[in-house]
Formats: sequence, structure tokens, C-alpha cells
Amino acid sequence: MAYVEAGKTRPGEMAARSSTPALSLRDVSVVFGAATNRPVLTDISFDVREGEFLCIVGPSGCGKTTLLRMLAGLHAPTSGAIEFGGKPIRGPSRERAIVFQDYNNALLPWRTVADNIALPLERHVASRAERDERVAALISKMKLEHAARQFPPQLSGGMQQRVQIARCLAQRPRMMLMDEPFGALDAITRQTLQDELMALSAEQRTTTVFITHDLEEAIYLGDRVFVLAANPGRLIETIEVGLPRPRNQLTTREDQKFLAHRHRLFGLLQGH
Amino acid sequence: MKTIMRFLPPVLFAAGLLALWYVATDLRLVSPVFLPTPARTFDEIASRFADGSIWASIGATVWRMVLGWLLASLVGVALGAAIGLTPLARDLLEPTLEFLRPLPASAMIPVAILFFGLSEEMAVSVIAFGSIWPVLMSSIFGFGSVRVRLREVSSLLGLTRWEFLRKIAAPSAMPDILSGMRSGLAISLILAVVTEMQASLPGLGRDIFLAQRSFRGAELYAGLIMLGVIGVLINHGLQLAERRLLRWRPGRA
Amino acid sequence: MRRLWRGALIPFLVLAAWELSARTGALAYESLSHPSAIARAGLAVLLDGSILRSTWETCQSALLGLAVGAAFGILLGAILGLSSLAARMAGPTFDALRAIPSVALMPLGLLMFGWGLSMEVSVVAYACCWPILVSTWAAVRGVEPRLLEVADALEMSFADRLFKIVLPAAFARINVGVRVALGVALVVAVTVEIAVNPRGLGYALVLAQQSLKPDLMFAQIVWLALIGFLLNALLRTVETPRANGGGET
Repeated sequence: MAYVEAGKTRPGEMAARSSTPALSLRDVSVVFGAATNRPVLTDISFDVREGEFLCIVGPSGCGKTTLLRMLAGLHAPTSGAIEFGGKPIRGPSRERAIVFQDYNNALLPWRTVADNIALPLERHVASRAERDERVAALISKMKLEHAARQFPPQLSGGMQQRVQIARCLAQRPRMMLMDEPFGALDAITRQTLQDELMALSAEQRTTTVFITHDLEEAIYLGDRVFVLAANPGRLIETIEVGLPRPRNQLTTREDQKFLAHRHRLFGLLQGH
Repeated sequence: MKTIMRFLPPVLFAAGLLALWYVATDLRLVSPVFLPTPARTFDEIASRFADGSIWASIGATVWRMVLGWLLASLVGVALGAAIGLTPLARDLLEPTLEFLRPLPASAMIPVAILFFGLSEEMAVSVIAFGSIWPVLMSSIFGFGSVRVRLREVSSLLGLTRWEFLRKIAAPSAMPDILSGMRSGLAISLILAVVTEMQASLPGLGRDIFLAQRSFRGAELYAGLIMLGVIGVLINHGLQLAERRLLRWRPGRA
Repeated sequence: MRRLWRGALIPFLVLAAWELSARTGALAYESLSHPSAIARAGLAVLLDGSILRSTWETCQSALLGLAVGAAFGILLGAILGLSSLAARMAGPTFDALRAIPSVALMPLGLLMFGWGLSMEVSVVAYACCWPILVSTWAAVRGVEPRLLEVADALEMSFADRLFKIVLPAAFARINVGVRVALGVALVVAVTVEIAVNPRGLGYALVLAQQSLKPDLMFAQIVWLALIGFLLNALLRTVETPRANGGGET
């Protein structure tokens, strides 16, 4: 949380914000299939602070994606309450953007990169000039200048994921939900995008919930890391990362604290 | 040199066939009634172009075909969208359509004559009935297989139903719609020819029918060649349009 | 159950409205008939066997045409598939020939054979040849090259190579083309009968219309739809889904 407190926000405002959590879950459970009654998530309760970068790790089948889809409003909990900004989540909203892992399915292949990014603005920003300006700003922020007029299928996976992130930023969400966004990318592209995401997050301070099955990625990116166990999916551990920001692919990953967290998480996930 | 190597074989083959045609007719291997000489056939085409009479025939056939095809495409895409996107429409309409679909379109000619007489409306309605099926079936498939992710993106962005249709569903179904429309156009040419023969409406179909009745072989072959040319041209035209509209698809630009 | 009910709704409403409007005189009975009269007419031609006879005539020319078309289609398709030179030479000419609507050949068939079975078979054969040619071409090109090397090693003749190696290996995919052509054959046969050839179901249909027997005409159309529906149900078991891009890219 160091970077948030040291940021540009005035202390008073910060205090007022943190009094209500950005997001809060109380005893959330999900059961799939009325007949089979298979519990997917049981009794999940946690708060996410305003501006926090929260990572959730867990083995496959632990319900991470279901959890994220509930936060987006794409799925309703079987029981329990989810509140966003003090109000219950009743369905999808432009305030919460979601970055899917399968960028190739989530982008509109028949629209150019620029037009994909413009999609959320079309009915909401009336002025053409302002729309173009905002799209251009996002294109340069996400380093997509050379690809602006190309179609997504012509781009590499990393570039396509950049486009999806830019499209989510275009809707100016209060919370970013990311479902293993870098899971399908090669290691080098993944590291580059991790660092770009962190820089972006330091600048925008959008509350972020980031799902991954990669322990190191979770520690490297997060302010806190939640660990989910499978069968049924449940929250088994919360880790305050506490590594200084800005972080560095080399030094941060060699930090004693980083290694200690990694050790701990590895043990937890092995045990389950 | 490379271009020559590319074009030489097909040209040689076509020239070989022509030579065969020439020899067969010159040596009277086949009765000239069945197979006129190439020279007489091409003379016939040239003279019909020279006096301009062929344009009326081509125009009538193509106009009828395009009208029926557009009608079919319009109705086909609209119905296809309704059935592909809403389960209620699918339940209501699909069984009836499944029963009508295998019916040979030409079997509707007597019914259409009952309603419209031997008229232009009769021809257009039969053409539309026959060419709607590929458009309709592929539209149902296209609208029905809009990716789940894109549906989610549209609900996350709060798109209205109309916006979803226009910005997500229609472009997503476009490749299917276009390929269906291309098959539909081939069928509409066939039915334009059949209805012309049946109802004696002006056009290339009636021309070759009348040529046969009066044993004018050269005219018959001239008509066949023109129909083939029209078929090739419209197919190529639509392929070009398809490529232009679908330039976002990888490997097809 | 609910789907069945919904699916029957529209046909039921149309039939009921048709019957009612014909009985109350809102519709000209003589020109359009009504469902119960159509059912009676259909039953009559079924019982006296006349519709079965014309169905047999139509099926006869459809199947003969399919056989002739398949023979040409498989032979030509195999040649194009085996030799890329042949494919490059003949491809454009075949594309042009294929573009001629099959029904436009009806007058030519008449000129050569006169009315009867032969002209109908020739037009059906022409129409059936193309889908089979295309599927055979693709199937033969897709034959495992290793098998062709075996043929080379055994110094097989062209005929041996074709009948012992290539066609058996390509059989499944050729079969798909033949099944598509079966549907084409029925449609073209009926069309030829309606337009020019005085035999079979198509002609019976035209005759009923021209002799002002709309009940008989509609009964025959329903019969045709039934045949087509059953044929389609038969074919659907092998028809590959026309997914966009998926199969092609």
C-alpha cells in the first residue's frame, strides 16, 4: 500500500475513502447445478480497499473465475452478499471492467484496434472529437501506435491483450477485474505487460482484482494476495505483500520477503 | 515468364476443347443440329451484341434474378437473426421451415401461377422462395453462434439490444450471411431461367427455349455461353465484395 | 413437449384459417381449395397408386442421373486431384462450365434426346457431376502421400493406382459429395419435369394446376415436401456443419 499513501491523493480524501471498502463480500457461496448441488465457492468473505491491487491465486477448479464473474455481475451468488461502493451488485455495470484471458474472443475481430477501443465510448461520449482524442490517448498509453489501424487477428497475443486493456480503460471503470490476463502469453511478453500494468495502476489508482494461477505473478503485482483452495473453493490465506514500489523484475524477485512469500504460498498450494 | 506459365496451361486446355469442337463439327462427327460450329455460335453472339438485342435479354434475366435474390436475402437475414437470437422464434418457426426447405423451388411455380398468373411477380416470388434457404440457414447459424464472450462484453458495456444487433451480432454473422447469399445467387439464376421458360417471360432462358423449339442450335449455344458468363461474373463479383467486407479475416485479405 | 407444441402452432393456425376462409366463402374455393379437400385428394391418389407411379418415374431419373453424374464426377475429380498440371489446365474451364445453370441445358437435352427418360437423366447427371467432382478433387488431394509412394514403389498402372489406392482412401469424403448430389438430383429431376418433360411427379403437378385441380396440386406438393424432408433427415447424419471459418482456415 506504500505507493498509494505516497501518491498524489490528499490524506483527508484517502481516509474518507478507506472508511467504506471499495468492494465487500459477506458469506458468498455458489452452487452449480440444482440437481448435482456441487459447491463451487463456500463462505467467501473479504473487503477490498479503495485503490488496492488485490491478487487471487489458487489451483484450477477452485472457483477463481466464478468469483471474478460474480464481481463483474455476470453471475449471481447462490447465497451471501456482494457490495460494490456500498451498493449490492445486481448485474454488469460500466463501473467494473473485466479483462478476459481469451483476448482473441473478447475483441471484435472486424473492428480495427482504434475502433475496438472506441466501442465503450460510442453512446456515452457524444462528441466525435473528444472520442478520437480519448482513443488516441489510450493508444499511446498502451503503446499501440503502430497497430491502431490493424485488425486484432493480425496482431500478436501481447498486442491484442493491450488492446483489451485499453478498451477497458476507455470505459473509465472504478474497478478493474482481470481474469488471468497474461496466462496465454509467453514469459517475456508477460513480464513486459506486468510492468506496464503496474505503472498504469500506480498512475490511475483504479481498484484492481487480479486472478492468476502463477504465485510469483501474484506476489510481484499485488498489495495483498488471497489464496483459494479447491473442492469446495474457499479462502484459506491472506498475505500482505509489503514489498516496496516501484518493483523490479530482477531485484524484487530476489528480495528475501518475496522469496519468503513464495515459499509460503507454494507450501499452501501443495498442501491442498 | 512466371505469368505466362500460370496462364498458359488453362488457355491451352480451353483452346484444345475449342479445337475439338471445331474438328467434331467440321468433320460432321455430330449432327449440326445438336452441335453447331464454333464459328456460327460466336457469330450469333457477335450479331446479337451488334444489334443490341442481347442486352434486353440479359437485362431482363439479371433484373429478375437480382430482385428475387435481394428479396430473399432481406427476408432471410431478418428471419435468420430472429431465429438465431431468440429461442421463442426458433421454436415457433423452425419446424415449419424444416418442412418447407427440402421442397424443390420449382414445385412452387404452379402455386405461384395460381396466385400471380404468368407474371413477373410469379417469377420473382419463386426465385425468392428458392434462394432464401441458403441465406436463411447460414444466417440462423451465424446469429446463433455469436461468441459467448462477445455477448458478455456487450452486457458489461451496457449495449442496448439494437446496439448488440448492429455492432456485435450482425458483423459476427457477416461471413455466414455472405456465403449464404452467394449460394442463393446461383440458385436465383437457375430459377430465373426456369420461370422464364415456364411463363414465357423475356430473357435468356426463353431465348434458348425458343431456339430449341425452332432447332436453331447456334442460338441455343450462344444463350448457354452467355448464361455461363453471367454465372462466372456474378460469382466473381460477390467474391470480391466478400473479400472487401471481410478484410479483417486473417489469411483472406 | 413445449417446443413441439410451439412448432405446431403456426402450421395449425395457417391450416385452420385456410379451411375456415374457404368454407365461409371468403376465399375463392375453386382456385385455392382447402386443407380437408387436399387431404382427400392426396388419399385418393395414394390409394389408386398414381402418385406412387409418378414418384417412381421421378426417382428413376434422379438415381440414373446421379449414377452417370457420379461416374463422370469421380473420374474427372480423381484426375484433377492426382495431377496438379491437369488441375491448373482444366480448373478455369470447369469453373466456367459449372457456372452454366443446369436447367439451361434442358433445351439442349431436348434437342439431343427428345422428351423422355434420357434427356432428364442427362440434365440431372450434369447437375450432379459438379458437387461430386469438387468433393472427389478435394478428397484425392487429401490422400496420404505415403500411400501414393507405396503405389510408386509397386510400379502400379494408373488404373490400379486409382482403383486400389486413391479411391478407397478418398471414399469417405467422396461419399459426402455423392450425398449432397442426391438432394440435387431430386430437385433437378422435378424441375425438368415441371418445365419440359412430361413424366413423373413434376409433370403431374403441372397437369393438376393446368386442369384446375388445386386440391390435387397441393396434395402433390405436400407429398414432395415429405419426400424431401425424409431425404434430408437421411442426409443430415453425414452433412458437415458449415461453421464459419472453422473448417476452412
